[in-house]
Amino acid sequence: MTVSNDLGGMEEGGFDLDTATAEAGRCLLCEDPPCSKGCPAKTDPGAFIRKLRFRNITGAIRTVKENNILGGACGVLCPTARLCEKDCNAKWVDRPIRIGKVQRFLMEHAWATGFKVFGGKVFEKPARRPGKVAVVGAGPAGLSCAAELAKHGHRVTVFEARPEPGGVLRYGVPAFRFETAFLKKELEDLKDLGVELKCSSPVAEKGAAERLLADGYDAVFLATGLWNPERLPGTRKEPGGLFTSMDFLAALRQGRRKELAKSFKGKACAVLGGGSVAIDCARVALRLGSRDVYLLYRRSCSQMPAEEDEKNQALREGVHFILLSQPVGYVADARGRLAGVRLVRTRLGAEDSSGRRKPVELKGSEWTLEVSAAVEAIGYKPVDGSQDWYPSVAVRQGGLIRADEDDCRTSAKGIFAGGDIIRGPDLVVRAVQDGKTAAGSILQYLGEKATTRPGERCLARKP
Amino acid sequence: MTKKTDLSVTFCGKKMPNPFMLSSSPVSNSAEMIERAFEAGWGGVAYKSMVTDNISIPHPSPRMHAYHYGEKRLAGLQNVEQTSDRGLKPNLLDIAYLKKRWPGRVIMASIMGFSNSEWADLAKACSDAGADMLELNFSCPHMTVEGSGCKVGQAHDLVEKFTATVRKVTGIPLVAKMTPNIADMNEPALAAKRGGADAISAINTVKGISEIGLDDLIPRPDVFGKGAISGYSGPAVKPIALRFMAEMAQNPELGLPLSGMGGIETWVDALEFILAGATTVQVTTGVIHYGYRIVEDMIEGLSDYMALRGVEAVGDLVGKALPRLHETGAFDVKRQGVAAYDLDRCVGCGQCYIVCRDAGGQALDWDAKKRRPRQTQDKCLSCMICSFVCPVTGLISFKEMPRGWKRRETVTLGR
Ligand SMILES: Cc1cc2nc3c(=O)[nH]c(=O)nc-3n(C[C@H](O)[C@H](O)[C@H](O)COP(=O)(O)OP(=O)(O)OC[C@H]3O[C@@H](n4cnc5c(N)ncnc54)[C@H](O)[C@@H]3O)c2cc1C
Ligand SMILES: Cc1cc2nc3c(=O)[nH]c(=O)nc-3n(C[C@H](O)[C@H](O)[C@H](O)COP(=O)(O)O)c2cc1C
Ligand code: SF4
Repeated sequence: MTVSNDLGGMEEGGFDLDTATAEAGRCLLCEDPPCSKGCPAKTDPGAFIRKLRFRNITGAIRTVKENNILGGACGVLCPTARLCEKDCNAKWVDRPIRIGKVQRFLMEHAWATGFKVFGGKVFEKPARRPGKVAVVGAGPAGLSCAAELAKHGHRVTVFEARPEPGGVLRYGVPAFRFETAFLKKELEDLKDLGVELKCSSPVAEKGAAERLLADGYDAVFLATGLWNPERLPGTRKEPGGLFTSMDFLAALRQGRRKELAKSFKGKACAVLGGGSVAIDCARVALRLGSRDVYLLYRRSCSQMPAEEDEKNQALREGVHFILLSQPVGYVADARGRLAGVRLVRTRLGAEDSSGRRKPVELKGSEWTLEVSAAVEAIGYKPVDGSQDWYPSVAVRQGGLIRADEDDCRTSAKGIFAGGDIIRGPDLVVRAVQDGKTAAGSILQYLGEKATTRPGERCLARKP
Repeated sequence: MTKKTDLSVTFCGKKMPNPFMLSSSPVSNSAEMIERAFEAGWGGVAYKSMVTDNISIPHPSPRMHAYHYGEKRLAGLQNVEQTSDRGLKPNLLDIAYLKKRWPGRVIMASIMGFSNSEWADLAKACSDAGADMLELNFSCPHMTVEGSGCKVGQAHDLVEKFTATVRKVTGIPLVAKMTPNIADMNEPALAAKRGGADAISAINTVKGISEIGLDDLIPRPDVFGKGAISGYSGPAVKPIALRFMAEMAQNPELGLPLSGMGGIETWVDALEFILAGATTVQVTTGVIHYGYRIVEDMIEGLSDYMALRGVEAVGDLVGKALPRLHETGAFDVKRQGVAAYDLDRCVGCGQCYIVCRDAGGQALDWDAKKRRPRQTQDKCLSCMICSFVCPVTGLISFKEMPRGWKRRETVTLGR
């Protein structure tokens, strides 16, 4: 199968009104719809599909958007096969309803027809409330929290370190899966809601979060994500042609494709890792014109954390999977450029703490895969020293912020956190839900704050 | 927050929160059911038709049959249902209960008598129970006794007589329900008006046969070996119902408020009835197919439509399409057009070519290599059938041609 080499826009097309209506026509309109219980962000597909079916398209759009400010992004990026579509009853008739695609259609239809949920004639601006909240990080978690608070009339300012909002959606996920133009349209709603966005404004000095509180913000939501790549241990000198997935994907989204192509076009390359990010990197490498792309993974195919459809897609496109092989180091040429990856064969031993059988290296099996470029895609963690940005907030070993996903409260009063920075690498839809959860807690906190006179201890806290 | 649109309407002097009502049928059979419908949002109800306890009307079994069209379920529904399964007394108690619990919703009691005195007794009993208004069922297609059901609706003097009888015993508004199994609905509607009716509702079911069993040769529903011509409803009858609605709304002599029904499932259907002259709309088959929940989408869909177009009251929409409804003789036939193709979106199925060749103007050639139609524009009749079968909505659209543009004559083979 040949792959497109256009890395600028989404490859998978969406539904149009005809196809979306036909898909909605297959829905069984279930009682107590199982799809509506499968979404981490509490999306209600049972309702929005029914609305589409009964020609209440504006209502269907509203059902998605009011619940999830990134409804379009989730429609495109969610691993729906294991979320809303997992228990869809239509699979007993034929196959599950393609709920994600219907959701994406509704958002695109809104843009195409100019229908706005948070603006225009069907929207009534919420009454202004006195709260003033700072959100740190304009990724899915931060944006979702900001939208929710703005819907309640509070003033929200989002501080974003990078030049544009979106977090991983803007600087991570390759554009052939999620393009910038789509993101921009989706973010219009935040503008309509009056959220103030300050880009290129990192909150990254010592005690910066606490300072926001001191500067008059009533609450702070930390949603800074994970922007520090895990590295293969033991690499002392970086050979030329070796990238981290973060740098590799970010460079691509910053328009530095030509520069990257130099290392990949016509050459053999390797991607280290077995997760979704590794698959993304491998598929990008193909699209940059790599002759051979090897995905190196230390366990078996079924143990790869990447989604089934992603794995299949990569295989169909021609990525070579080298399984049960542990990368242990790199080989460089005389000029310091990457010449190969050293690999050791493994076999599966006993189960480890993740419940998967652990790879055990086979003695004497080391070999070298000759490649002139490689991408390490073996995980993300918090930026080193990031806890200094919020010294009053308790963090776990490794730097993740300690917060319960049920309320997104941190150990510090007035500071909340959510998204990947409390969970580790996770999903857009869970970050969205954290944003909403945090907004709920912040609303409660603001209420408490407003009713708590100075010096009075706050006792009331709803169970 | 979403703007709240006021959907309230006033029908026969009674205000209701929206124009959406259950029509008289099994969907409005008891207070327990209707209460759930009110909770879902329905603005009013036409209670299942009641008769006196003088005669018992047992129900055939099975009562209904579905007409599926291709993969679409319930394009139409056929029923041989009779009047209420329940005695008069429990129904009256239920009406009184509903009126107490739901004072803001409209309870219209549907009655059907077999004689003058029965009509009077029923009307009085229902008024006493607290019904807001009465619907006089002159239209049930399953009554075999002369002078009952749609046999009344077909005999205009009886419509007038029975309406007048009821008028004498009660002061609450009277809504006469019409059968579509006639040529002109204005005649019985006018008769009802003469008898004292305050409004007209229509349509009851259309007489039909939905299916015949090919193995047993029994028309459906198969009531132990026998079928019967009986009431057909649902989406398939909507165009017929809209026609009757508009004809009555356009008749200045009638001038009564209308309650429209026949095939309504969505807010779009409902709005079409309103635009054709209905003040309220009623639904049965849509609820039989999907349950009470469909009213949520009717409410939200109509609210958004009104908000987006800046319409303040549902009443402002009533009959709004009528000035654009004419006799075919009024068309300007000097203006002509053709079917225009946007072939960029063509999927190459060739259905347009087949139907144009066999039912249209033979205006399309088929490029078998490219799998695309090629149109000879001056052979296009603008029948538009190609656009009806095209799987891509909007690919084929109507385009007006300049004045003086001429269509080519059809080829004649005989001499
Ligand atoms: C390549 C890749 C592909 C993925 N594909 C999918 C997918 O298909 N489906 C899916 O569901 N999930 C996917 N994910 C995971 C998903 O993107 C994340 O779970 C999600 O983005 C987490 O959202 P977040 O808001 O917590 O953090 P992020 O998206 O990381 O956003 C954090 C934001 O905070 C900003 N920031 C950081 N520090 C500071 C600071 N000090 N001051 C101000 N701003 C700061 C960052 O610049 C960033 O904009 C993918 C992840 C990656 C890396
Ligand atoms: C099963 C069934 C029973 C009905 N019973 C009555 C009735 O008792 N009284 C009446 O006036 N109309 C009755 N109707 C007619 C409906 O009220 C309505 O006029 C008709 O079905 C058209 O509307 P619809 O297409 O929404 O169903 C019945 C219809 C059905 C399908
Ligand atoms: S589970 Fe599937 S069939 Fe049932 S309501 Fe949801 S989408 Fe429709």
